[in-house]
Amino acid sequence: MKKNDFAKLLVPILSVLAAFIIGGIIIVCLGKNPLEAYGFLFKGALGTSSKFAQTLEVACPLIFTGLAAAFAYKCGVFNLGGEGQFIMGSIMSIVVSTQLGITGVPAIIISVLAGTVVGGLWGAIPGILKITRGLNEMIVSIMLNYVATLFMGCVFTNFLRDGSVPQTPAVPKESQIPNLSDGFRVHYGIVLGIILALVLYYFLFYTSRGFKLRAVGLNATAARFNGFAVNKIILMSFICSGAIAGMGGSIELHGKQFRLMQGYGAGFGFDGVAIALIAQLNPIATVVVAFFFGILRKGASTLQAGMKIPTSVVDIIQALVIVFAVAGTALVRLPQVKQFFRVHFTGSRKGAEN
Amino acid sequence: MDAIMNVNFFVQLFLSTIRMATPILLVALAELYSERAGLVNIGLDGIMSIGALIGFLAGYISGNPFLGIVAGALAGIAVNMIYAFCTITLCAEQIVYGMAINIFAPALASFIYRAYFSDTSTVVQGVSMKPIAIPLLSQIPIIGPLFFNHPLLVYIAYLLVPVTAVFLNKTKAGLNFKAVGEYPKAAETLGVNVIRQKYMASTICGALAGIGGAYLTICYTSTYSEGIVAGRGFIALSAVIFGRWMPGGVLLACLLFGFCDAIQIRLQLLSPGTPYQLLQMIPYLCTLIALVVFGIKKSGPKANGKPYFREER
Amino acid sequence: MKKRTGAVLLAVSLTVGTVTVPATSVAAEGDHKVAMLLDSSISDGGWGASCYQAMVDAAEEMGWETAYTDNVKTSDFATVMTDYADLEYDLIFAPGNEYTDAVVQVSEEYPDTYFCLLNGAIETDNVISVMPDAQQIGYLAGALAGLMTQTNNVGFIGGMEIDTTKTKLECYEAAVKKVNPDVNVSSAYAGSYDDAAKGKEIASSMVSTYDVDVMFGDASAVDTGAREALADTENKFSIGQPGDLGSAEDEVIICSVVTDNAALVKECMEAVEAGEYGNRTIFGNLEDGCLQVGTFSDKLVSKEIQDKYMELVEQIQAGTFIEE
Repeated sequence: MKKNDFAKLLVPILSVLAAFIIGGIIIVCLGKNPLEAYGFLFKGALGTSSKFAQTLEVACPLIFTGLAAAFAYKCGVFNLGGEGQFIMGSIMSIVVSTQLGITGVPAIIISVLAGTVVGGLWGAIPGILKITRGLNEMIVSIMLNYVATLFMGCVFTNFLRDGSVPQTPAVPKESQIPNLSDGFRVHYGIVLGIILALVLYYFLFYTSRGFKLRAVGLNATAARFNGFAVNKIILMSFICSGAIAGMGGSIELHGKQFRLMQGYGAGFGFDGVAIALIAQLNPIATVVVAFFFGILRKGASTLQAGMKIPTSVVDIIQALVIVFAVAGTALVRLPQVKQFFRVHFTGSRKGAEN
Repeated sequence: MDAIMNVNFFVQLFLSTIRMATPILLVALAELYSERAGLVNIGLDGIMSIGALIGFLAGYISGNPFLGIVAGALAGIAVNMIYAFCTITLCAEQIVYGMAINIFAPALASFIYRAYFSDTSTVVQGVSMKPIAIPLLSQIPIIGPLFFNHPLLVYIAYLLVPVTAVFLNKTKAGLNFKAVGEYPKAAETLGVNVIRQKYMASTICGALAGIGGAYLTICYTSTYSEGIVAGRGFIALSAVIFGRWMPGGVLLACLLFGFCDAIQIRLQLLSPGTPYQLLQMIPYLCTLIALVVFGIKKSGPKANGKPYFREER
Repeated sequence: MKKRTGAVLLAVSLTVGTVTVPATSVAAEGDHKVAMLLDSSISDGGWGASCYQAMVDAAEEMGWETAYTDNVKTSDFATVMTDYADLEYDLIFAPGNEYTDAVVQVSEEYPDTYFCLLNGAIETDNVISVMPDAQQIGYLAGALAGLMTQTNNVGFIGGMEIDTTKTKLECYEAAVKKVNPDVNVSSAYAGSYDDAAKGKEIASSMVSTYDVDVMFGDASAVDTGAREALADTENKFSIGQPGDLGSAEDEVIICSVVTDNAALVKECMEAVEAGEYGNRTIFGNLEDGCLQVGTFSDKLVSKEIQDKYMELVEQIQAGTFIEE
């Protein structure tokens, strides 16, 4: 068991190193110093407490979409609709916060709840269609992403336009999620994200419902023979997954971006999927990976600005991290490799652990 | 609205349908080959973007559109080999590699473009493939311009549909190929080299998706812009499922989507008051509704998306 | 295989990569630095390209160092500006009113950094807004379209339904009708600035549905696609913007409405050097030369029409073309 944990930890670290090395080579080819570049990256993400705070804020929506993806996949369904659910949740939230005339903490609570509910409902659509009509959930959820994005466009250019500019009015100051402290400006959403991760972890691994959900994910047919209400469990996982993404959208809206405009929410859903898979669907690991992505994204912009290299180089490094991390975990799971480790490394591994 | 009431309107509508469906069809066929061998590849958008760029560049440098198409295909294969190696040999999660390709390939394309053309801000004009009018047939009124006056690649794309159908259903190689996606273990015991078949599927998939991308920058327009793929890969992905993993069905799905998109643009012109986003939803909503109405209880190849371990654990 | 892709990558970057960027040392003392961010790409052949070119041209004249970040996500606007502010860039150029929130936020946190907001409406101690006159752009294009159309149908393609695009469309329509009241204007939005294929489709459907023969667009790469559709048929013309896209022999582009953003950016740089930045809006119009009429295609536009058009341009400049 311990040996397994060690490999689980070692692989992501090695893969990140590998990605950084290749990224470094590219940077060298551009005539730059890779060490200086990575210096910018980490200084930019973690250098001062205010930068660290910004990194946490970048990571916050990724935690939610990551958890949303992880939760659905644990039940064996591929929810690629995180982006749509995130956006629909945000749309509902902005309506509540700017149109109902309530402000302050009650406004935050009501609109986050409303966003969560709408996200859940949007997430229920692929679930219902899968159960009743046997439709592939990936396709339905991707189509719904487009619909949600276009609907949001309609909202900020027509229904809720703020004067002449195509964007919605901003969430009023008093309804914005407050920061942890004035010196450390991260909104409370990050705390909520971490709590949610712990709750999901407890739910999945320490409750009987969570066990059923995982059982369906491992083998739906077997679960059905065991008398589990498989369809009900699948639908529930869709709804919860959508709700988590919708909540993430509401929180991002109230904590960081404050209004909907062109490009809002783009990419969060798919980043969430990548994060969940790198974290091997473990909610707590999801938070850690999301934070790492936050470092990459925040630091990337500093690295780009400081070194004047094309933005795409950083995207390439990010993709390589995904490629290596998942390839690494798959590699150690291969039967041949497992065998190899068992034969050659059991002795020395013990030594390494001491 | 007398504008609607003339024949030319309909001819143009169907012409646009054909044009818009072609890149999606190429890429959907790519995915069809991949999924028939049990590999769900959602990285089509990424492969298209690298195909679009390399195809454009090769065409631009050589001045020959055909060379551009070939280069696009090769680039598509090269990128898809990352996917193939990780999912076939390492048995890693297919969805995540599709995602990784979707992040990696467009970034690479944008990097190469930036590296080649430096920080230029002018639009670079590449080559374009001219339509080939088929003698006699293209003279027939209405039908002629509709079906017999297109660039070569369009004919190829539509011909690939019956070719694929015959290959998958009537040839031994095709049946072996399908068996890999249905019962890989059984196929292996019958002497089919499952791993090789899967690599072959990935090669075809990369090539066709790369060509689909190159179509955008060589046949459709003759310029390259980042984001030219615009989600067409995902549409192709849904066309495969909507078309029930059959070449004919895939063709119909692509045409339906192309038609909805063509009509959507015309509706925008005819009703300027409607928010354009609502009209742009039409293709996606139509696909969804069509899926619901013709609901698919039958799912795809049985071993689709599952890794294949040659040795038992 | 990964290795091979890597090798290709290396080869490409080795051969051409070094051209991309000058050496990085911290700027020599006394040097000024300007940076811009962009939500699209600098090579989109439209808005992004012209803004980037504007910054580079202005910086070259003034001897400033430049940097840019493109394809920035909406959620990262403020982050990128903060990074440049931290790196002690003197001026940050934000080309569009979508950056307003981020500029307000970062300019408060960094009072010593100057911001130039294009199409903005913010005036503070360290923010100058710059406003090319969208109305005049619309009038300029519309007047020419009205003069040139033979089918009495003209078209307009917008990227997104943003403020300046809407103004351009309204004024385009007004100017067309002023020149020739019988002309109909059709318009459509592509919902994108980079889907060239969609531009081609929209243009060809406008031609087939409404017999449109002159088009104007505000959608970057989408316009490029539209022009390709027009080039496929005889006697269909396009009006370019914001750069001078046509030439005397052009087969499609009859003329361009040129926005000289460089002059506007340069004015901001001069303000920084003079130490009197902030609290104003710089307007760009025909009067101060920031808007210009580009090169006519002598092949397509007769001398007669050119002269007539230049008369209208004078009226537009004087504000007598359309009274508000």
